[in-house]
Amino acid sequence: MRRIWIGLVFAVAVVSLAAAAGERAPAPSSPLGLPPVPFPDDNPQSDEKVALGEKLFNDKRFSSTGTVSCGTCHAAEKAFTDGPLRVSEGIRKLTGTRNAPTVVNAAYFRTLFWDGRSPSLEDQALHPFLNPVEMGLEDHQPILDIVRSDSDYAQRFQAVFGKKGNAITMREVTQAIAAFERTKVAGNSAFDRYWFENDTSALTPAQQRGFELFVNQGRCVSCHRVEQTQALFTDQRFHNVGVGINAIQDGVPALAGEFLRAKATLSEVDIKVLTDKRTSELGRFAVSRGFDDLGSFKTPTLRNVAVTAPYMHDGSLKTLRDVMIHYNNGGVTQAGDRVNDFLSGGIRPLNLTEAQIDDLVAFMEALTSPEFSRLAQGGGK
Amino acid sequence: MCLFHRSRREFLKGAGALAAVSTLPVSMVELVFADPGQNFTFAYISDSHIQHIAGKNFVRNWDRGLIRAVAETNLLNPKPDFVVFGGDLAQLGTKEELDHGAEMLARLARPYRCVMGEHDYYLDLGEYWSELFGPHHYSWDHKGVHFVTLNSILTYDDWTHKRWPTAQQRMLEMAGLDNPNGSPFMIGDAQRAWLRKDLEAVSKNTPVVVFSHSPIQKIYKGWNFWTEDAEEVQALLKPFDSVTVVYGHVHQIQYNQIDRISFHAVMATAWPWPYPETYAQAKPHMPKLTVPMNRADPFFERDATGWQLIDLDTGRVAMSYNLYNNTNRKVAYNRETGRPEDAAYQSPDKRIPPQSHY
Amino acid sequence: MLKKIAGAVVVVTALAGIAVGLSSRADEFTAEDLKRWEGEYMSVVKIGRELWTSPTLGTNGVACAQCHPNGANTHPETYPKFQQQLGRVIALREMINWCLQNPLEGKPLEAGDARMVAIEAYLAYERRGVPMAPGKH
Repeated sequence: MRRIWIGLVFAVAVVSLAAAAGERAPAPSSPLGLPPVPFPDDNPQSDEKVALGEKLFNDKRFSSTGTVSCGTCHAAEKAFTDGPLRVSEGIRKLTGTRNAPTVVNAAYFRTLFWDGRSPSLEDQALHPFLNPVEMGLEDHQPILDIVRSDSDYAQRFQAVFGKKGNAITMREVTQAIAAFERTKVAGNSAFDRYWFENDTSALTPAQQRGFELFVNQGRCVSCHRVEQTQALFTDQRFHNVGVGINAIQDGVPALAGEFLRAKATLSEVDIKVLTDKRTSELGRFAVSRGFDDLGSFKTPTLRNVAVTAPYMHDGSLKTLRDVMIHYNNGGVTQAGDRVNDFLSGGIRPLNLTEAQIDDLVAFMEALTSPEFSRLAQGGGK
Repeated sequence: MCLFHRSRREFLKGAGALAAVSTLPVSMVELVFADPGQNFTFAYISDSHIQHIAGKNFVRNWDRGLIRAVAETNLLNPKPDFVVFGGDLAQLGTKEELDHGAEMLARLARPYRCVMGEHDYYLDLGEYWSELFGPHHYSWDHKGVHFVTLNSILTYDDWTHKRWPTAQQRMLEMAGLDNPNGSPFMIGDAQRAWLRKDLEAVSKNTPVVVFSHSPIQKIYKGWNFWTEDAEEVQALLKPFDSVTVVYGHVHQIQYNQIDRISFHAVMATAWPWPYPETYAQAKPHMPKLTVPMNRADPFFERDATGWQLIDLDTGRVAMSYNLYNNTNRKVAYNRETGRPEDAAYQSPDKRIPPQSHY
Repeated sequence: MLKKIAGAVVVVTALAGIAVGLSSRADEFTAEDLKRWEGEYMSVVKIGRELWTSPTLGTNGVACAQCHPNGANTHPETYPKFQQQLGRVIALREMINWCLQNPLEGKPLEAGDARMVAIEAYLAYERRGVPMAPGKH
């Protein structure tokens, strides 16, 4: 099978923004295997903004107990997750219902959260502060009080946004956080060198067999997208793959009805889905209210999947092998369990042998970017 | 994504419609009827094509389609008055297939009635089907509407009784949509006579809704999107002020208006069919009004399949297509233009690529 | 001596040339040839049609014609093209194999399997007259 060598394309894909009064820094060229990072018009990137964002991201004072920051659940040293926790722990170690997705490559996502209830990185940052099992604040005021009065923040906000005092709002706060998150992009894995640079030695024979299965018998590629010149490993759509919903199968009619009667606002949805396990299993339905989305969750990217265990929206699958067994069974974790009525039409039994499962797992291990490779060696599965 | 469009809600605002708490967005079930007590909806599931492989194995793909349609219609709140199954429950009309399909239909939370399809009929001429579901054609009245179910997949006697050496062979020949050995569908003289008599008792201003498997139009003969005596049947229906034909068989969105008769096709739960105009060697007569459904992605086995919720608005049909993995579609009778129209895409400048990129 | 052999070779060649010229030249085909070869093609189209309607290509009894009556909606004129379901640009036969493995739950046809060409011949025949549109989604 011939591969088209497009390394040159990426070299050319360097986006260079005109520097204006030192406000904008040239955007980095995208990593191998990824398209250019989309930047919103109203939130241009700069080194100072990124540094401010990083400080905000790690500031534990933005929680009711002073112990939780974004970085608590999205820890840089764990590829921006909190493995091996299945679901995240917020203030007072309160647990939610969902597994913390990695921030790495979230810059490419059109929607954020497992159910896509947030349309942008800027918007997403608003919600965990107010969730009772995450940062536990009643409203954003404590954050604003801090950033308006703290002298270091004051100086930074002035330099980045030209604003001080009450002119600093959550818009600036979340824009800085989003700018920081947009620098967390990572490609250039062994797979990228194999597929986009035609380096046939980059993958082991098992990994090459795994890639062939990924595209053919495993049927993974239709949702975990790979294309000719880029690979996001996600279609950014929502699918019911049979994780979690099986536990509430019989309760779906009552649960869905109850949920719709409550006519929750989006903020209320944010709180409800993270605090009530059963509602959490409704997935995207809680946002779109469409039958089609019952039990559906967003396809995550598989980049760096080997170092972001455990897996699925509820962290219920510990290893990549467990994930493969679930898919091989056709959307149930225990073979022979009843498949849920709302299962995505893309999920079916795969008839993979043990050896084929091993190869697919090996392939997924080839999706780790060099900056996270030491995590892979450390036994992060 | 499944957000229903609000346009109909806007249209009905201030018309004294009943607001109802609902599993679907409220606009779906706001009804306008002269007598609010007569508001009602019904669900329509069709063309499940349950296909037997061997022993206890059936084609999983088609099974899942019917299972899902039943599960979703059971979520409707307020509940529909009844459910109609539009024909082709089985693929080759065997007892195993009809039983397996009937088992799945039995999980419906509401009473249901069935329409005969050719895939149910041509093995034993509907004998076992009748044991399960009753007569092949019948009529009934419900909340001021006269419903008629026709068996519209009959064909010439010669083909049915003399042409084929075995019943299995006859079934196989009719099962191939593009089989040149097939034979055109019809209602036939006897049933038309029955229909004429049945309609005599119905006043001209009573809304009439006809359930049929074949289209009661002549769309494309090569694929039996065809009813040989369509004109004769239409002539019997034309005298009525408000008459709608709901048909299956085509596995795609179609709708049309011929004189005073509105026609609405329903989706299959099993698999979609291409539009006849996509066959390069055909010259079909596609209902011109139709805005095509989105082209399917074959990876998602339920894409371009679905079920329908129909509400009767002053005797006219508003059909909501509940599509999996796809934006839902709403085709409703527009009283101003006197024909069914798509709530979102009817105007050519509102079309999107998946509707024309066939 | 060599000259004599060479001379003989030239004569033999010339005679052979004339002999060949008496039947036909290699590049001159007749109307009958055309008709016969078209028939050769149609015989394979016929096999392709049988395969298209056969319930035994896969393992679940589903036939290609069930979803693609008369090969409609297969778009042979658009290949090679980027095929989302395979993540790369492919030729038609790879998509045929995809369908054999997925909705038909069977095994792909091996390279060189005559049945693949028969299926392709049938699909192209049903699509005759449609202009090429390579790469069209």
